[in-house]
Amino acid sequence: MTTAIPARRTRPGRSADGARAVNYVWLLPAFVVSVAVIYFCVGYTAWISLQDWDGISPDPMFIAFKNYARMFADPVFWDSLQHTVIFFVVAFVAQAVLGFVFAVLLHSKVRLAVVYKVIVFVPVVIAPATMAPIFRVMYTPTGQFNDLLGAVGLGFLKQAWLGQGNTALAVILSIAVWSGTGISFILYYAAIGQLDPEMIEAARLDGAGNVRILWSVIWPNLRGTTVAIAMLTAIGSLKLFDIPQLVTAGGPNYATEFLGTLIYRQSVPLNAVGYASALSMMLLVLAVAAAIILRATGRERSTTCLRPGACPRRSCCSWSPRSWCCRSCTRSWRWCRSRWRAPAGTTTRPCWRSPSCRSSSATARSSPSA
Amino acid sequence: MSFRAISKRTVRTAAALAVAGLLAAGLAACSGSSGSQGSAQKGDLTWWGWTPDQAVAENAITEFNKKYPDIHITFKKIQDATYAAALRPALASSHGPDVFNLLVGGTGATVKTYGVDAVDLTPSMKKLRGADWKNGLFATGVKDFTVGGQLKAAPIGKVAAGMMWINLDLFNQFGLKPPKTLDEWKSVCKTFREHNVGCFREGVDPAGFEQDTLHTIANSVQPGFYEKAIAGKAKWSDPAMVQTLTIWKNLQSDGILDPGALGIQQYPDVNNAFLSGQVAMVQMGTWYRQYTRTDTLKAALQGAGVSDTSKMITMVPIPFPDVAGKGHTIAAFSDPDYALAVNKKSKHIAAAETFATWLGATKAGQQVIANNLDEDPVLAGITPDYGKVPLVNTKEQTPYLDWLSKYTSNVTEARLANISGTLDQALLDSASTTLGAKATPEQAAQTLQSQSGQ
Repeated sequence: MTTAIPARRTRPGRSADGARAVNYVWLLPAFVVSVAVIYFCVGYTAWISLQDWDGISPDPMFIAFKNYARMFADPVFWDSLQHTVIFFVVAFVAQAVLGFVFAVLLHSKVRLAVVYKVIVFVPVVIAPATMAPIFRVMYTPTGQFNDLLGAVGLGFLKQAWLGQGNTALAVILSIAVWSGTGISFILYYAAIGQLDPEMIEAARLDGAGNVRILWSVIWPNLRGTTVAIAMLTAIGSLKLFDIPQLVTAGGPNYATEFLGTLIYRQSVPLNAVGYASALSMMLLVLAVAAAIILRATGRERSTTCLRPGACPRRSCCSWSPRSWCCRSCTRSWRWCRSRWRAPAGTTTRPCWRSPSCRSSSATARSSPSA
Repeated sequence: MSFRAISKRTVRTAAALAVAGLLAAGLAACSGSSGSQGSAQKGDLTWWGWTPDQAVAENAITEFNKKYPDIHITFKKIQDATYAAALRPALASSHGPDVFNLLVGGTGATVKTYGVDAVDLTPSMKKLRGADWKNGLFATGVKDFTVGGQLKAAPIGKVAAGMMWINLDLFNQFGLKPPKTLDEWKSVCKTFREHNVGCFREGVDPAGFEQDTLHTIANSVQPGFYEKAIAGKAKWSDPAMVQTLTIWKNLQSDGILDPGALGIQQYPDVNNAFLSGQVAMVQMGTWYRQYTRTDTLKAALQGAGVSDTSKMITMVPIPFPDVAGKGHTIAAFSDPDYALAVNKKSKHIAAAETFATWLGATKAGQQVIANNLDEDPVLAGITPDYGKVPLVNTKEQTPYLDWLSKYTSNVTEARLANISGTLDQALLDSASTTLGAKATPEQAAQTLQSQSGQ
């Protein structure tokens, strides 16, 4: 069943153009600020990237795309991209798994749960500048990490963790995971809290155990959160600067060089601001591309309902060609109106009509079951 | 919620005003303001630098205020690794430091790049010292900080490198003598390691201190080669450089260089470890002499988080061991160290010039520099007044400090002055790839030649 959308009312004597003009006025401050602060800077950086400039001299030299040619021929640039990919994959998997596990554990009845939540989240609020010196001391050959290895009988693993390329990257990853897991934990924790308890109850009635519920009910319903964490980690990986700069300064032998540290190295110590700007433009392109790809591939898809009415908040259980599915209500009503078609023989109401999708699922119970 | 209708004209007017206002604000922010001379006897100044230490700078300011009580100076020390990053935007704004340190070469805040924001100090020097103002000043310093015929910064002191610094207390404790050859050095380090004491520690990091070690080793292999290579008169791929990198690499495998050199920084890691007695030997230059002073060492230890009650180390300079075994005298190399530049946008240019020229070109200012012991003065005839310098262990340290004065008195080789940023990075890469076994000494030397920009 579809419902006609009432035409927007306008006051007598007021033209539609005038109303639109008012809207533009309200947009203006944000537009001006974003143009001045963001887009002007992007344009200026793009312009500088075509110059040979040290950042101070009053007469930069226009060299067209030579900085970009230099970038593609620079092995350190390709190394930094490789490190970024490794960082993204490892950090995303580790943070998602740890965050999910912590969130699930702390949703169960755990004593002193508040204390554990604080412990997991505190690293997020500690400034990298504060923790970096501590990690640097901890991972030195005479540091506490090697002492710990010795104390637990793993003395043969003692080494200069920050002094070797392969271990230095692992150290950077460990610090990043330690400091970032709190974010994924809090996102998963909030998302799990939004799940409809009826859905889990329904799964239990259907005979699902804890692991099955986690894997087949809770985890699929957190897809949106996982995509959000992936997007945050991808952009964070591209922008990564503080931890490698403060802990290893991109070394040894560029083993922990990321785009952020490379841009800094070229811009500040080497005064190659033109080249650093070309790297910055590449960083922007990669960040936008990563966001678009993740958004496109991570669009929330329908998940199978165990039964009608088992969908979480902000989604509705509707009939797809083969089964009942939870569909997200996050789309705008315009989109829903243009795309939604009632499946033949169903009485499901489109989510855009329901202030809360629960009401739509109530009506769905009367429709044919899968 | 509803809004009153607004005419298109009103909307356009509002938009135009908003954009115009924003542009005006932006232009005002971008344009900054030009400086003004102000009084030469009065003003509140800020001074930024990566050196000297806070206590040393305050000594200088205290002495300066005895003659110029109405010029108040606040010194802000910024780590050398981040100094240039802080300075560039500060100079671009109208709120930058009035006086700032500049380097002569290498990477970072070099006079060639940052000198454009500095006032020409030549007229001030002429006013202070007369038409022949250069007479008696360190000629290399004046030349190196002169760009386009303008003196962009007043050289304050000079530093030399090529020597080692040792913790004499540790050597005495284990009955050891300072090593003179590679074999002696290995033996000394073996003893220290048996007692869980670090031996020779060095941080291979972008600050570039490992270049001093490479330069010293090269001077042991073939005197003069390194300087020629910097000048482009010899190839970095020369066998002398290959041997230099081989010896450098072997310092690690022979147990001389402490493990983890690629993962630590000379400042603060190595510095703190040495001053707190955890390490027996480091390679630092004459600037390290400041820590033979009780007050300066105490301040540095406090900065490193070491307890006030800890024993202060007796540190002394020694010649670098003859690592090539060829019996060459290993020459030191020297540069003008930092120089004081006056910001073109300062509101107190005259007062800032008074301070920069006082510290760099008057007897009183240079005596302060000499007595601080972190720099050699650039004004001829000034030497440290050891009667006024509180040394940690006067009896033990004085003979070594006298040797250091002689060792660095007739230095001809430059340290970093002629090294470009590109070459600086290439030297760091050669040192780190060799030590990290990413390249053989031969490969690293070839890469160094190709990336040197020469």
